[in-house]
Amino acid sequence: MIADSDIADIGSGLVNPQIYTDPDLYQLELKNVFGRSWLFLAHDSQLPTAGSFVQTYMGEDPVLVVRQRDGSVKAFLNQCRHRGMRICRADAGTNRTFTCSYHGWAYDLEGNLINVPAESVAYHNELDKEKWGALKVPRIACYKGFYFGCWSAETPEFEDYLGDMTYYFDAVVDRWDSGLELVTGTTRWVIDCNWKFASEQFASDMYHAPISHASAFIALAEEPALQGFPPYEAPGRQFAGNGHGSGSHWLPEFAMPDAATGPAYTDWLEENKEEVFRRIGVERAHKVYAHNTIFPNFSFLGQSFTMRVWQPRGPGQIEVWAWTYVPKDAPDKVKDSVRQGTQRTFNPAGVFETDDGENWTEIQQVLRGHKARQNLFNVQMGLGHEERDVHGLPGRSNGVYAETAARGFYQRWSDLVRGLSWAEIAELEHSRRAAEEVQPA
Amino acid sequence: MTASIDDAKAAATATATAAAAAVGDATATVPAFRTTGAETQHAVEQFLYAEAELLDQHRYHEWLELFAEDVHYWAPTRMTRTIRERDREIAARGQSAFFEEDLYRLKGRVRRLTSGVSWSEEPPSRTRRLITNVRVRVRDDGALDVACNFYVYRSRLERHQDWFVGERFDVLRPAPSPERGYPFVIADRTIVLDQSTLLAPSISIFL
Repeated sequence: MIADSDIADIGSGLVNPQIYTDPDLYQLELKNVFGRSWLFLAHDSQLPTAGSFVQTYMGEDPVLVVRQRDGSVKAFLNQCRHRGMRICRADAGTNRTFTCSYHGWAYDLEGNLINVPAESVAYHNELDKEKWGALKVPRIACYKGFYFGCWSAETPEFEDYLGDMTYYFDAVVDRWDSGLELVTGTTRWVIDCNWKFASEQFASDMYHAPISHASAFIALAEEPALQGFPPYEAPGRQFAGNGHGSGSHWLPEFAMPDAATGPAYTDWLEENKEEVFRRIGVERAHKVYAHNTIFPNFSFLGQSFTMRVWQPRGPGQIEVWAWTYVPKDAPDKVKDSVRQGTQRTFNPAGVFETDDGENWTEIQQVLRGHKARQNLFNVQMGLGHEERDVHGLPGRSNGVYAETAARGFYQRWSDLVRGLSWAEIAELEHSRRAAEEVQPA
Repeated sequence: MTASIDDAKAAATATATAAAAAVGDATATVPAFRTTGAETQHAVEQFLYAEAELLDQHRYHEWLELFAEDVHYWAPTRMTRTIRERDREIAARGQSAFFEEDLYRLKGRVRRLTSGVSWSEEPPSRTRRLITNVRVRVRDDGALDVACNFYVYRSRLERHQDWFVGERFDVLRPAPSPERGYPFVIADRTIVLDQSTLLAPSISIFL
C-alpha cells in the first residue's frame, strides 16, 4: 500500500496517483475519511411528512434517513441487526415501520427494534430488543434545511467543520427568504473513476471549463458571440479552507442573461435581486456562487442549480446522486426554467457534464499502467500566491484559476486518511497558518 | 407548419399516459392488444428504423427534420418504489428528467455534437439501435400513439460500452411535407429507461 510519507505533504501540490487506485487505501478512506466527516444525507423537502424516508449512503454504508413524528430527522444503518439483510429496499417512500423481509424483524422510525416474529417460541422471550436496534447515526446536523450526518464523536461541530465555507455555502443556499426545495427525483449514474477527481474538481477547477466544456455554449446559444467563456483575465476568486473549496468569476451585473435557463429565470432574478442583496449582501451576491465542494463529497453549483454527492464505489468507481434545487416560493414557470436549464447542463445528458465523465474515466483507465502510476500529478497552480481575507472574501483565497482548493482538499484528505485525530489536525492547521503568516506576501 | 391546440393537448395526454403505461398501471382498462392496418404498422416500423439509421450513422441534421416544430422530447428519471407507491416510480412532468427539450434545444445539442469539440462524442461513439415490439394505436385526431422497446448499444473509444434499454412512447403525426421521404413527424417523445441508477457515465447520444 502507498506509504504515509507519500501523502503526508500532499498539500504542496505533488500528488501520487496511487491515491486513486490503491484498494487498501480505499478501505482506509471509508474508515478514516467517510467515517469521520460530516456527510450530506438529505434536504428537508425530500421528507415532507412523518414517516417519509429516503435511502442514501455514507461512503458505502446504506442509511435510511427518516422524518420523525416530532418533525426531527434521524438516520440509521439500513442493515438488519439479526443477519445483516438490507431492511428497506425502496429508494424513498412513507412508512410507519421498517420490516426486514428476511425474518421479519421490525424497526420503528428511529431504528429501534420493536417486533421480532415468534419472540416467545424462537427466542424464549430472552432477546433484549433494546440492544438490537439498527445502528443509529449518532450525530445529525440540520443546517438551513440540509441534513448532514457523522459517525464520529470527535469530529468538530458542523459549523466549525464548515469554518469559512459557511460564507460560501450560505451564498447559494441562504439567498431566498423562503429557502430552497429539491426537485422530486434523484438522478443517479455511474462513472468509472475515483471519487476524488469529482470532489476536487468541483472544489477547485475553473481551469478545465473553457477547454473540457468548449462545446457546451455551442449547444446553449446560436450566436457565436455568446458561445465562449469569460476571458482568462476576467476577475474571480477561489476559496480554500478545511478541505472545502469554492470558486467564481465575479458577475459584471447580477441577473446576467443565461443561455441555459432563459429569460423566465433571469427576469425574475432581476425583479427579486433586492431580496438576495438583503440576505447575503451585494458584494457576496456578485462574487460567490459558481463551483463548490463541502469536504469530502458534497458538491453544488450556483450558475446551474445542481447539488450532488459523489458516492464512492471502490477506488475506481462512483455513483453520482444529483438533485436540482429551486427557490421554494418562485413561480412555477421560474422553477420550470431553472429545472430545465440545470438538466440540460449538469446531468448525465447535460451539455457540460458529459465531458467531465469522459475526462475522469480516461484518467482512471490510464492509471492501469505501472509507469502511469509513478508519475506525480501537478497540482501546483498558483502555489504561493494565496492571500487571506482579501476582496471582501473571508478565508484563504487565490485567483479563480488556481489549485489552492485542490491542495487544501488533498491535505485534509491526507490528514484524515492517515488516521490523525481531529485534535492533531487542528494543531497542524494552526502551525500551517502560522507558517503562512511569516511568509512574504 | 403550425400546430393546433388540439395537437398540443393530445401530446400532453399521451405523455401523461405513457409513464403510467411504462410501469404497468394496474388500473388501466385499455387492453394491451392493439391492432392496426398492416400498411400503417409497416410504415411506422420503417419510419422508426429509418430514424435509428440516421442516428447510428450520425446524420443528425437529417434526424432533426423528423420532429414537429412543437415537439416535447422527454426522458424522466425513475426510482425503486414499493408496489403501493409504484405510481411514483417514474418522475412526473415537472420532476427530475434526463432530457426535457424542445426543438430549439435539440438543434442546439446537434450543433454541439457536430462541433468537433464535444469531447464525449469526439471521437464519436459507435451505436447500434434495436427497435422492437412496435405497437400502434390510431387516435381519433388521426395521430398515432406508438410504443416501442429499444436497446441501444454504445461502444466508445478502446473498450468502453454501455447499454441503454427501455420503452419509448411517441406521438406521430402525418408529415406536412411527405415529399421529403418521411411519412410522419414526431410530435412527442417520452423515453423511459429501465435502470434506476444509470449504469453509464453519460448519455451523450440521443435515444
